[in-house]
Amino acid sequence: MADAPKKRTTDIGPPHYEQFLPPAIKKNYGQWKYHEILRAGVMKHVAENGDAVYTVRAGGSRLMSIDKIRMICDLADKYADGHLRFTSRHNIEFMFTDEKKIDTLIADLKKIGHPVGGTGPSITSIVHTQGWVHCHSAATDASGIVKSVMDAVIGHFENMDLPAKCRIALACCLNMCGAVHCSDIAILGIHRRPPKINHDLLHKTCEIPNVVSACPTAAIKPTTVNGKPSVTVDEERCMFCANCYTVCPSMTLNNPLNDGVSIWIGGKVSNARHEPMFSKLAIPYIENNPPRWPEVVEAVVNIIDVWKNNARKYERIGEWIERIGWPNFFKLSGIEFGKMHIDDFKHAGLTFKRSAQLTY
Amino acid sequence: MADELPKTPMLDELEKGPWPSFVSEIKMAAKRSPASKDLLGILERSYQEKIGHWKHGGIVGVLGYGGGVIGRYCDVPQDFPNVAHFHTIRVNQPAGWYYKTDALRKICDIWEKRGSGMTNMHGSTGDIILLGTSTDQLEPIFEELTAIGFDLGGSGSDVRTPSCCLGKSRCEWACYDTMAACHDFTKNYQDELHRPAFPYKFKFKFSGCPNDCVASVARADMSIIGTWRDNIRIDQKAVGDYASAGVDVTKEIVNLCPAKCMDWDGKMLKIDNSTCRRCMHCINVMPKALRPGKDTGACILIGSKAPIVEGALLSSVIVPFIKMEPPYQEIRDLVERIWDLWCDEGKNRERIGEFIQRVGLGNFLEMIEVEPAAQMVAHPRENPYVFYEEYFEEGEEEAEN
Amino acid sequence: MAEKVSVAEVAEKMYKMVKEAQGMRKLKAMDLTKNIMEIYGDRVDKQTCKDAIREIIETEKCVYTYFGGSYIELPHKEGAANP
Repeated sequence: MADAPKKRTTDIGPPHYEQFLPPAIKKNYGQWKYHEILRAGVMKHVAENGDAVYTVRAGGSRLMSIDKIRMICDLADKYADGHLRFTSRHNIEFMFTDEKKIDTLIADLKKIGHPVGGTGPSITSIVHTQGWVHCHSAATDASGIVKSVMDAVIGHFENMDLPAKCRIALACCLNMCGAVHCSDIAILGIHRRPPKINHDLLHKTCEIPNVVSACPTAAIKPTTVNGKPSVTVDEERCMFCANCYTVCPSMTLNNPLNDGVSIWIGGKVSNARHEPMFSKLAIPYIENNPPRWPEVVEAVVNIIDVWKNNARKYERIGEWIERIGWPNFFKLSGIEFGKMHIDDFKHAGLTFKRSAQLTY
Repeated sequence: MADELPKTPMLDELEKGPWPSFVSEIKMAAKRSPASKDLLGILERSYQEKIGHWKHGGIVGVLGYGGGVIGRYCDVPQDFPNVAHFHTIRVNQPAGWYYKTDALRKICDIWEKRGSGMTNMHGSTGDIILLGTSTDQLEPIFEELTAIGFDLGGSGSDVRTPSCCLGKSRCEWACYDTMAACHDFTKNYQDELHRPAFPYKFKFKFSGCPNDCVASVARADMSIIGTWRDNIRIDQKAVGDYASAGVDVTKEIVNLCPAKCMDWDGKMLKIDNSTCRRCMHCINVMPKALRPGKDTGACILIGSKAPIVEGALLSSVIVPFIKMEPPYQEIRDLVERIWDLWCDEGKNRERIGEFIQRVGLGNFLEMIEVEPAAQMVAHPRENPYVFYEEYFEEGEEEAEN
Repeated sequence: MAEKVSVAEVAEKMYKMVKEAQGMRKLKAMDLTKNIMEIYGDRVDKQTCKDAIREIIETEKCVYTYFGGSYIELPHKEGAANP
């Protein structure tokens, strides 16, 4: 090592969380007794010794500027001795012991445009992916749809007026960086055309065996085009997953005319009552209609309304549909059932109705 | 100083309405950052053309690391030169996503000087995402981040940044110290996190109870979910208080119990803990009256993932119950046996869940030296195509055991 | 028991493998490890391979890359960086 680089700091890992804990949290760590939700977005946690900590939860946009982070830091300095935390769904939480601060903090959050809510039987912030803001394989934008949907359902964020929690998630392609597949409502970007292959570039940018093995349906075969090694795609077998594109930039799937979103419902991850389950297809395709995707917003609002009006208390969307049956869901929601709703991948047979227990 | 912001009639529509607007966020950053200004421009073009304008790059890290940076380039650099390079940096978040404002402000300062000023708080896996910088800034950013005590997170075929719920810091249901475990595993597997050596990614998520607030069962190759073995703690008086306050204990709790193991006669709530499934519903509804037991620990599930390549999976049980105490040696040994096997036998881009599907859970258990348990299956097999491994030979006297 | 191979020797061998495969096949860390174990048998262990990979990366003879999975390649200008 002739030109050894100067000593660099590496592998230190994240800072230890303890230095960031608010004093009352640190003091009562592991000593919590119970909690109450005082109102949407406001919680009170009580420790064994009687100490109480109040939490105010504000909705965030996942995409944030450092300017906004600094404004939020200003509020944390003012109300929470310089402490704050984020939730797994992009919400921002302030914790403090003085109950009197709650209302003024909420008012200050409103001033910088952040609503308070997202606790209990409500809709909380939508987890989502990068979309056209930063992703190469996005079939739709993420932030634009999320903003439009949240504008429409913010009433269910600020009020706990639903039968149960409703977790919405958006992924802008099947890669599902947002792992939306177990959400009450999942909005999923989809491609609908096979990859366009750049035969001139492919052999330079991609390794062919990798491309071939990337295909879940074995639709890709090696070939030679104009004397150059390349691949062919059996278009009949392509289900537009874009996995080949992930390993090979010379096989683009993005297609403005055909890309769009699908809607999947009834998944959950919590074990409460029903075991965790996958979301199931409700609407196979809605075309991209930026900037506000009104058809997607309308579809999501419709599903929420039908569920809200028909479900029993504590029934999440999937539990409700399991009780009433999918035929009733399609009838109540007015969504048309068709061929695309029927699975045809591995283990599809397990999803067929195999009994005479039917509703009419 | 950036000049006037580009005209963005479509994006401007997304500044309307009550929910916080990401467009307003980009505009704030664009006042200072030429990259964020071009981000506005290129995003407006995407909205008009209904197509993204990003190319994936192969850049993955700073010197010595194979993860933590996602290479990104735009496909129209002639029109938007300030986002010609627009790489993402993943910064490993502190466990539980707690911060002090001085730490956050220091990150903002670095990002103001060396990047677009746009972030995600946080990305899907849990990292702080710093969105958009150029190749020449990567080393200086890394040096400045480590100087304030932060390090990069994972990307590629490595241990991805572990994440956890806030656990015992503020939740009475936490059955083990998720933040301590998450921090411990993250620190212990720094090499595996920064230097990709696996067939594909490997995610850990730590949830304190079966409510699974970090969605570990759906999103982690190893899901470590808190639970308990003894009885639910009941405060009968508090149950009565809920009933007097209007909770219909029979309808809202007893009837919704998936194990049908509860009974309420108007005075006393009885639970048959031998059939309780630890689902959390009754505890969720009456947190002042019911609490998890005291013999707490975790169950470990393995193999969940999103659809790519072979279809989505939920994690399934591999250790029905284990006490969660540092240094977590038994779990580490298990993890390392799994990694050794997966590195030897796994195919390129095959997640551990897919690997198990391919070799069979029974065989997998044998290979990692774990005894099968009835908790690992929803029910025994229905198909009679059994690969029997033991049999008698003609003339053999008796089975040996 | 045969004499152990040094980290430096393994690193040099790995570097050659990457160089020979460049443009034909992308190698992963585990491909390098497997190939080395095949060549040297019990004269090498996984830790030596790990140390050798670290050496070829930290001396900048090779770099990690990503295309749907992580690979080890010779340093080169990014294809996507060209307009």
